Amino acid sequence: MKHMVSTIINGERRELAIKPYRSLLDVLRNEAELTGSKKGCDVGDCGACTVILDGKPINSCLVLGVEVDGSEITTIEGLADHTAPGAPLHPLQESILQHGGAQCGFCTPGILMAAKALLDETPRPTDEEARFAIAGNLCRCTGYTKIVESILSISGSEGAL
Amino acid sequence: MTTSIILETPSPTLGLIPENGLSVVHTSPPRVDGLEKVTGSALYAADYSFPGMLYGKILRSKHAHARIVHIDKSKALALEGVKAVITHADAPKELHAGSPAPRVGQMVADQYVLAEKARYFGDGIAAVAAVSEEILEEALHLIEVEYEPLPAVFDMVEAMKPDAPSIHGTERNLVGPPFIIERGDVEEGFAQAETIFEGHYETGRPVPCYMEPNACVCRWDRGGKLTIWSSTQCAFMVRGILSQVLGIPAHDVRVIVEHMGGGFGAKQDLYQHEFVCAILARETRRPVKMEYSRKESFLGGRSRHPIKITLKQGLGKDGLLTAREVRLVSNTGGYASHGLGITAVGCLDIASLYRCEKNLKIEGISVYTNNPIAGAYRGFGAVQAFFALETQIDEMAVASGVDPLDFRLKNIVGDGDLSPSEHHILGDGLAVCLRRGAEEMGWYERKKMGRNNSSPLKRGWGVGTEMHSSGAYPDIEEQSNAIIRMNEDGTVNLIIGMADLGTGTRTMAAQIAAEVLGISLGEIRVIDGDTDVTPFDIGAYASRTTYVGGGAVLKAANHLKKQLLELASERLECPLEDLSLIEGRVFAKNAPNEGIAVRDLVSGEGGRPPRTLIGQGNNEPTVAYSFGAHFAEVEVDTEIGQIKVLQVIAVHEIGRAINPVAVAGQIEGGIQQGIGHALTEDFIIDKKTGRPLNPSFVDYKMPLALDMPKIKTIILEEFPDPSGPFGAKGIGEDPIIPIGPAIGNAVYEATGVRMRELPITPEKFLKAFAET
Repeated sequence: MKHMVSTIINGERRELAIKPYRSLLDVLRNEAELTGSKKGCDVGDCGACTVILDGKPINSCLVLGVEVDGSEITTIEGLADHTAPGAPLHPLQESILQHGGAQCGFCTPGILMAAKALLDETPRPTDEEARFAIAGNLCRCTGYTKIVESILSISGSEGAL
Repeated sequence: MTTSIILETPSPTLGLIPENGLSVVHTSPPRVDGLEKVTGSALYAADYSFPGMLYGKILRSKHAHARIVHIDKSKALALEGVKAVITHADAPKELHAGSPAPRVGQMVADQYVLAEKARYFGDGIAAVAAVSEEILEEALHLIEVEYEPLPAVFDMVEAMKPDAPSIHGTERNLVGPPFIIERGDVEEGFAQAETIFEGHYETGRPVPCYMEPNACVCRWDRGGKLTIWSSTQCAFMVRGILSQVLGIPAHDVRVIVEHMGGGFGAKQDLYQHEFVCAILARETRRPVKMEYSRKESFLGGRSRHPIKITLKQGLGKDGLLTAREVRLVSNTGGYASHGLGITAVGCLDIASLYRCEKNLKIEGISVYTNNPIAGAYRGFGAVQAFFALETQIDEMAVASGVDPLDFRLKNIVGDGDLSPSEHHILGDGLAVCLRRGAEEMGWYERKKMGRNNSSPLKRGWGVGTEMHSSGAYPDIEEQSNAIIRMNEDGTVNLIIGMADLGTGTRTMAAQIAAEVLGISLGEIRVIDGDTDVTPFDIGAYASRTTYVGGGAVLKAANHLKKQLLELASERLECPLEDLSLIEGRVFAKNAPNEGIAVRDLVSGEGGRPPRTLIGQGNNEPTVAYSFGAHFAEVEVDTEIGQIKVLQVIAVHEIGRAINPVAVAGQIEGGIQQGIGHALTEDFIIDKKTGRPLNPSFVDYKMPLALDMPKIKTIILEEFPDPSGPFGAKGIGEDPIIPIGPAIGNAVYEATGVRMRELPITPEKFLKAFAET
């Protein structure tokens, strides 16, 4: 038994038939064919599946797909201006590239979405605020230093390079 | 700022750098695959899907040691949507080593795809393919397994006792014969000593925790060829072992690795899913995808080997070491994996670092137990061996009233001394790192504010050092290959067998090629991770990729350059030696304003088709050593036992940094893992049942963004190695090694408590503190 869910993903209206027990992460990766959000644990521990749901960063593995009817979702695929093909990268994406903030890249989509949510609310975060914002996003490659640098340097915060 | 990088390049270039300097190498352009990674378009193994694809999953043992008496799969097979169920009766009876190191005597073939006996809690005993993941879960519950539980053993010392349960039928549960190093006369060495130090050291069971759980997709064509998209560091080894076990030739297995989400050594091994997935796909004639859950990545994954080390050293009146005797025992779990290899490397490493070449006796053994499998993990044997050695060296310094830094500088190995591989060391890299770090932090001026203040919060500094080989020589005869093809428009396809597990391999390779050919990074596309296309490479491990693989790229690019210059020599009617290749143009010495574009040399004209130039590089170096020293400041709360690392100064001598930002990224990431190993990370196995107690990120504690200290990274290029590309040596494993002993030694300086066992949990610290 599937439920029809109508949602806006990355600015595009999507009508999806969803089994009631499927997580939003599984729906995004399978039904919506957006594999940018990653499954690192599937139980809300690692943050690799972070997307922005109605303005708030959430672990998409902890939300049911049927819960998002009528909502607006931004995934990593929609972080840059999704209305214009070939549009420039979001400044966070550019900054991660410039600072070496991505190594294996598996946590990167979740980190970027968490950081975007932070900057939307707090355009000039402190070092600690930046670390707090990504405290639920595990990274095993970078030791976080270059990720934090990436966030602080575009926000023009104190302590930025 | 939270971090900083200092890059110090002194004068010696040994002719390894072009006369007019470097323009692409030694800079830090964004990684060439970065755009894919920041936009979510990078494809990892689990991102692939195919029409008609099924999903596969493994049924795992609920006993740590049990004979499988009978498996009834009829109910599972009857469930709608289930397409296949396989057990040991359906899998090939071919023993394999599970791990890819061909030509190496140290690998033990002791694994079946599915065995008739479970040897650890979580050992895979059956597998299902079904049309959805939900049906899979249900089907696994419907498989009825009759177990005959066997007595199990989890402690490595217990496992060696004569009455211990036998796991593989080997004597005393040993994986293989002891690894022994004997030099001189160790008894004579101890007789010469003024003081003898003896201690027991032990390390825990940290897990790599790569963010991408193991995953693969298998698809057979009707001609009998298997394509597998897998998350592996060693595509050619996956091909080799699958070919062996499935009984098909190498050219009928194609392994594709586009992007992978970390591996840190563990993804050298083939886990069970790769075999099972191929068999399920063959049986159902449909593509099959298998994704490990995070819990499975713990249970069926590979941890670091817990090791017990007994270390005895003699110290002479003159403050020099007189003898060293070591017994090292590693706990490899239910299967050998790299048990013998890490034991050998641990023994070789502990034979070096501090000069004691004359009187040395070292014995290492690896033992089977009914724990999950321990395998390869960044710092392979070195993390454990150097924790013991660096801790005891500190104890010796303190006991003899010598500053720990001075004690190290007096005894540390340097230029011409024996390295772990028994080569002569090139350069005083260790002394240089120690001195540079001490200068940066003000070692001699530091306030030893720990023990004497009245606050329960005590601070102290500690130091640890390491040296690490670039490449696995002499365990493996090193070899890498690269092919570089110039297209008719002057652009280049660089084809490498190396894997990029996230470290930046592609970028490093492209930078080296661009430097040699005088072209921009944008004119190079790197092709990798496809065993049907690229030349052979053994894989990404042993800190070998830049040193061995980068060297192959250098040779391939030079081979192509030679061909370009030969063409130009004809066209410009100028002898070869008078030509130079700069920014995509070849110039003759006597006509520096003219020259010919590389594109025009290869594009063809006047009815002549374009030329395809192919450069080829095969690189077979021996070994080079990188050196490092970490200085860590900790704050210990002696009331609750919490230890915080406040700052780290990391100094590494690596010959040449091809991409300094990528090098710093390795160092910072290694420190994160090393801090975890030292303080919080331990995969805990229940001592009665063998059941893993913390197979999740909530219960297994890695340092988070908020936990990380300030890190100052100093990259030194004092001793470029003539056998590395532009003098470069490895950096992948080095930074995880010295941070552990630096933290332990800092805890001692802060509190007077000597911790000889990792991780230093609050419970262990408080117990030791109360006893002091």
